[in-house]
Amino acid sequence: MMIEQAVTYLTATLLIYYAAKWLYRKYPKVYLSPLLITPAVLVVVLLATHASYSDYNAGGEWLSKLLQPATVAFAVPLYKNLQTLKKHAGEIIASVLFGSLTAILSSAVLARLMHLDSELASSLVPRSVTTPIAMNVSQMIGGVPTITAVFVIITGLLGAMIGPSVVKLLRIEGDIAKGVLFGTSAHGTGTSKAFELNPLTGTISSISMILAALFTLLAAPALLSLLG
Amino acid sequence: MKKALLAAIQVAILMGFSELVNVLAAWMHLPLPGSIVGILVLFLLLQFRVVKLEWIELGATWLLAELLLFFIPAAVGVMNYIPLLEQDGLRIFAVVLLSTLLVMTSSGLLARTLSRRKESRT
Repeated sequence: MMIEQAVTYLTATLLIYYAAKWLYRKYPKVYLSPLLITPAVLVVVLLATHASYSDYNAGGEWLSKLLQPATVAFAVPLYKNLQTLKKHAGEIIASVLFGSLTAILSSAVLARLMHLDSELASSLVPRSVTTPIAMNVSQMIGGVPTITAVFVIITGLLGAMIGPSVVKLLRIEGDIAKGVLFGTSAHGTGTSKAFELNPLTGTISSISMILAALFTLLAAPALLSLLG
Repeated sequence: MKKALLAAIQVAILMGFSELVNVLAAWMHLPLPGSIVGILVLFLLLQFRVVKLEWIELGATWLLAELLLFFIPAAVGVMNYIPLLEQDGLRIFAVVLLSTLLVMTSSGLLARTLSRRKESRT
């Protein structure tokens, strides 16, 4: 029974995801992004059938388990594009640091302007970086790590959805600038969108994601104490 | 078909490798998550030719192409926080949206400016 249920949820996820992908290819609208449609449909179905997230996740976690080997696989494009990365190391590092600084400070300031309580505000601060590091930083600065994990996902979904429009609007050209934009603002989810553009943009995005995570881990606590 | 089987085997190798790195990172009390340590270790292994690219390339390419799919279950997990989002969702959404736009603008424009300047110098 348990295993059948898990297989059902896994199959449903795959079917809805590939259907959503097909729909998105036909009608490439931001609100039809598979990353939004798939979870939305699944949540509606789960709520309608009174199923819990842990019921669902018995099957869903098989997909989540591939997230780590997929992240480790970033080493392959990193290795293949090493020359380009070396050539542009200066621009990439400077822009990622500037972007991460913006992420930390603007999250803290905006949360305060919106009168969110300090626990929620602290949970929002590390939301632009990859989940394990974001949760770690959240713990260090008085946030709630599990709530941070939710904000990280929302940031990733939103970033991957609006990223292509922002690129067009700001006339961001070149693989370097696009990759930096996706990896700094929307971690792994943004990076997967960047890989859809082309492998080099994806590689730059993955290196930006790593740099942003390290910088946030090292600098967020000090930056926040400066804000007071 | 043979290619799909090869890719599946390589994905299994990458899964085993990342589990191994998790254990090592925990055992050595590294302050970094296993996935980031894994990228660095695999990169070094490729760089020093301990691991050959063709052992893992097909699997890695497939994993990266389907990356978005692996985020779906975590995104469904947001359903556990519906009460929080009902209460503060709009303000949270506003913070995330505005801040993400600012991060994209600052990092993207700086990277574009710096890489253009470099091109015009060379």
